[in-house]
Amino acid sequence: MTTNFIGENLLPGQLGHFFIILSFIASFFSGVCFFLAAKSETTDPKASLAWKRLARGSFLFHTIGIIAIFSVLYYVITHHLFEYNYAYQHSNKELPMKYLLSCFWEGQEGSFMLWTFWHCVLGWAVIRWSKGLENRAMTVISGTQVALTTMLLGFYLTPELKIGSTPFILLRDAMVGAPIFSDPNYLANFIKDGNGLNVLLQNYWMVIHPPVLFLGFASTLVPFSFIIAALWKGDYSSFIKPTIIATLFSGAALGTGIMMGGAWAYESLNFGGYWAWDPVENASLVPWLTMVAGLHTLIIFKATGRSLKITMVLYALTYALVWYSTFLTRTGVLGDTSVHAFTGEGKSLYWHLLVVLGTILILSAIMMARRWRSMPSIPTEEALSSREFWMTIGAFVFILSAAHIILVTSIPVYAPLVKWLSGKEIAPPNERELHYNNVQVWIAIMLGLLSGATLYLKFKKTETKAIFKKFLILGGIALLLSLFIGFGQKISGIQYVLMLFSAVFAIVACVYYAFGVQKGKLKKRGAALTHFGFAVTLLGVLLSSYGKEVLSINTTGAQIDLGKSDPMDALKESQENILLFRGSRVAMGDYFATYLGDSSSKEDPRQFFKVRFERIDPKTKQTIEEFVLYPDAFVNPKGQQGLSSNPDTRHYLNRDIFTYVNSIYKAPDKGEYKSDTLHAGDTLFLANSMMVFEGFERDATREGYRPRQEDVTVGAKLKVHTLEEGNYDLKPLLVVRDNQLITVDDSAKGIGLYTRFAGLIPEQNAAIIDTKQLDPKDQYIVLKALLFPYINVLWIGILLTAFGFLMSMWNRITKKA
Amino acid sequence: MKKSHIILLCLIAASIAIISATFLDFSTYETFTTAAKKNAPAHVMGVLDKSQPLVYDPVKDPNRCTFYVKDKQGTIKEVVFNGAKPTDIEKSEQLVMSGRMVGDQFHCNSIQMKCPSKYKKESVVVGTQNS
Repeated sequence: MTTNFIGENLLPGQLGHFFIILSFIASFFSGVCFFLAAKSETTDPKASLAWKRLARGSFLFHTIGIIAIFSVLYYVITHHLFEYNYAYQHSNKELPMKYLLSCFWEGQEGSFMLWTFWHCVLGWAVIRWSKGLENRAMTVISGTQVALTTMLLGFYLTPELKIGSTPFILLRDAMVGAPIFSDPNYLANFIKDGNGLNVLLQNYWMVIHPPVLFLGFASTLVPFSFIIAALWKGDYSSFIKPTIIATLFSGAALGTGIMMGGAWAYESLNFGGYWAWDPVENASLVPWLTMVAGLHTLIIFKATGRSLKITMVLYALTYALVWYSTFLTRTGVLGDTSVHAFTGEGKSLYWHLLVVLGTILILSAIMMARRWRSMPSIPTEEALSSREFWMTIGAFVFILSAAHIILVTSIPVYAPLVKWLSGKEIAPPNERELHYNNVQVWIAIMLGLLSGATLYLKFKKTETKAIFKKFLILGGIALLLSLFIGFGQKISGIQYVLMLFSAVFAIVACVYYAFGVQKGKLKKRGAALTHFGFAVTLLGVLLSSYGKEVLSINTTGAQIDLGKSDPMDALKESQENILLFRGSRVAMGDYFATYLGDSSSKEDPRQFFKVRFERIDPKTKQTIEEFVLYPDAFVNPKGQQGLSSNPDTRHYLNRDIFTYVNSIYKAPDKGEYKSDTLHAGDTLFLANSMMVFEGFERDATREGYRPRQEDVTVGAKLKVHTLEEGNYDLKPLLVVRDNQLITVDDSAKGIGLYTRFAGLIPEQNAAIIDTKQLDPKDQYIVLKALLFPYINVLWIGILLTAFGFLMSMWNRITKKA
Repeated sequence: MKKSHIILLCLIAASIAIISATFLDFSTYETFTTAAKKNAPAHVMGVLDKSQPLVYDPVKDPNRCTFYVKDKQGTIKEVVFNGAKPTDIEKSEQLVMSGRMVGDQFHCNSIQMKCPSKYKKESVVVGTQNS
C-alpha cells in the first residue's frame, strides 16, 4: 500500500540521485580509460591517445555530476524542502544566508561531497600540467573518486548491507515507521521547521574553515598519485618536479586549514585556546607532519639521488593517514575522547572506510614491493657535514612527532586489543594537553635548531670551519635575544628555555640566511621564509601558552599551564571561574570587571552579556583604559537546556583578553511593582538611579506597540539617570481601546528597571507610574577570563609559513627544467 | 663506527625513551573501588544518580559542583567537580570523569558527557568540560 503524500517536491531528489549515479559511473569509466591509456602508452600510442580522450571526457561528465549534486542540494537547503532528511536535520528557516553553506559541512554526506569536488578541481590541474604522468596519476585520482562517490550512493546491496548514504534521502525514508507519516499531509501538519544547525557551527570561521581544510586533505592525493605513477612506470625523474610543487601547495592548504580550525576554536569554542590536542585536530596535523618529512626527503633525492625509498613510503603513509583520520573522526571509534560531536554513522561507513584504507595500503605496498630492488639508491654514507644528513634527521624528527601523536590519539582504537591481552582498560592520559606538551616540546627544540642550521649546509659536503664560525655568531645573537625575552616573560624550566633559544636561533639564522647569504631573486627565498615562519610559529606557541594567565582567578602571579609538575596541583588551583553580580565591580588580574547586564535582539538568537573591564593605575587611581566585552551564549538552544556560550576577545597587538560565560542566573520575576503619583518634572529616587517624569506625549508610538484606528494613546516620558550607565529614555504607554485600559510597559533591562504607566489623574494632571527595580543580587553570571600574550606572533608565523610554501611553489613552477 | 651512526643511534634511543614515557603516561578506566586503591589519577565511567541532589551554588563557590554517580559496578559515590555545572549534565546518559578518589569523594577536573540526541537513536558526545 502506498500513501500519496501531499506537498512533497520530489524532483530535486530524483535529479540528485541521477547525478550521483552519473558521477559514480563516469568516475569509474574514466578510471578504466586512463588505466587503458597508461597500458598502451608505449605499445600503441594512437590507441592510448584515444583512451585518454575518452577518459578526459568522462572525467568531465563526472565533474559536471558533482557540481550538479552540489547545486541540487543547495536548492533543497535554500528552499527549505524539509521533506528531505538533509535539509531537515541541518537547517531551518531562521538560519541566516551566510550560514547556509555550513549546513553542507555539518553532515557527513556534505563533507564527502566537498572532498570529491576538490578532487575534481585538482584532477583538472593534473590533466592540464602533469604531462607524461597524466594517465597514471589520473587512474589513481579517478579510482579515489569512485571510492568517494560510493559514499554518496545510499544503495542497498542486501536489506542489511547499505553502501554509502545519499544526501537526498527523504525524511520519511530516513525515519521509517515514525507515526507522523501515517498522515499524508505530514509536511504541512507536523514539519513546520527544520532541526537547525548546530550552534557551534554558526560562526564565520565555520563557513571557510571546512572548505580550506578539505582542500588540504584533497590536495594530498596529487603527490600520492604522482609517486604511484612513478612506481608504476619505473621512472624516477619526471615525477620529482610536479610532486614537489603539489606538496608545497598541499603543505600551504592543509596548514592554513588546520590554522583556521585553531582560529575557530579560539573564537567560538570555550576550551580556552587555539589548540587542545583534540583527536580531530591531531588527525589533521599528523598527515601534514609526515608530508613535510616526505617533502624534505624528496628534495634530498632530487639533489643527491639518496632516500628515494623513504620518500615513497612517506607519501604513501601520508595519504593513508588522511583516510585514517577520516576513519577516526567519522566513525565514532574515538568514542568518549573527542569534543567534536561527530557520531557513528553506522557500521556501513566503518567498513567502507576500512576497505578504502586497506586498498590504499595494499596497493601502495604492492607497487613498492615490485620496484623495491630496482629503485635507485646510493650505497655510500652521507657525510656528516652534508645538508642531506641533517635534513634526514629533521625528517626523522617529524616522523617521531607524528608517531607520538597518532599513538596517543589512537588509544581508543587499540584499547580493546590491550584489554584482551592484559585485561587492562587503557585510557588517554589524564592531563592530555600536559602530556602532549611535555613530549612535543623536545621535538620543537630539535626542529627549531635543525630548521635554522640546515639552511647553511651544502649538499654532499660543507666546509665546516666557516660554518662553525657563523653558527657561533648567530648562536651568540640568539642567546642574547632569548635572555632578553626569557627574563621579560619570566620563562623558567629547562625545556622551555631551550625551546625559546631554539626558536630564536632559527629566526635569526633564517633572516641572516635570506639577506646575508642568499643572493639573486627574492622568489628563491621560499625555503628561508617557510623556515622563518615555522620558527616564528614555535615562538608564538611558547609565548602564548607559557604566559597564558587566568585572569578570573583572584590571585597574583601567572598560572603556568605548560609546566605543572603534579597534575593534581592543576586540580587544586583550578578555581578559574568568578562570579559577577550585576553592577558590582570585581578585581581580576590588572583589571576590574563589572557585569552590566544582558541584552538580546530579534535578529540574533544569542543573548549578549555586557562586561566592562577597567584598568586602573595602582598609584594614581586613574583609569588607564576601559572597554566592554560581549561574550554571548545561545540560551536553551534547541534540544538542550542551558548555555552554549561563545567567547568574546579584546585584541591587542601583544596580547588578547579572552572571556566567556559559564553559567547565568536571573531570579524569577516576582512582579512586585511600586506605585507612585508623579507630576511633570517630579523626580523619583530608585535603588541605583533617579527617574524624572518629563511630561505626557499624546498619540505616542513606540516600537512593539501596533496602534489601531480607535486607540487613544498617551505616553509618559521618563528620563532615567544612572551613575555608571548613562541615561535611558523610557516611554511606557497608556492606551484606551474599546473603553478598556491597556498598558504598554517599557524597561531598561541593563539596569533591571521596569516601568508601567498604570493610570492617569486628569484633575491633577498627574500620572500613576509603577516601577519595579530588580535587585542586582538577583542577576549574575559566572565568567572565565584568560589572557593570551603574543598570540599574534603565532598567527603571523603560520601565515608566513603558508606564504613561504606558496613562494617556493611559484619558484619551482617558473624555474626552467 | 661512523659519527653518523652514533647520531642515528642517539636519535633512536631518544625515540624509544619518548615512546616508553608515553606508555607510562597512559591512564586507565577504573571503578570507584579500584580508583581508590590507585595512587594516580584515573578515568571513571558512570551514570548520574538522578535521585540524589546535584548542587551548584555559584554564589557560594562558582568552582564547585557536586553530584552523585553510579559507576559500572553499581557503587554510588559523591563527585566533586572543580568548575561550573556542565551544561545539560542532568540529561546525560553517561559520564567519563578524570580525577582521583579523595576520602569518600571522587574529585575531578574534567568531565565528558554523552547526551541522547533528540532526533536520532544514538548518543552524541557533547564535549568536555574542563574546570
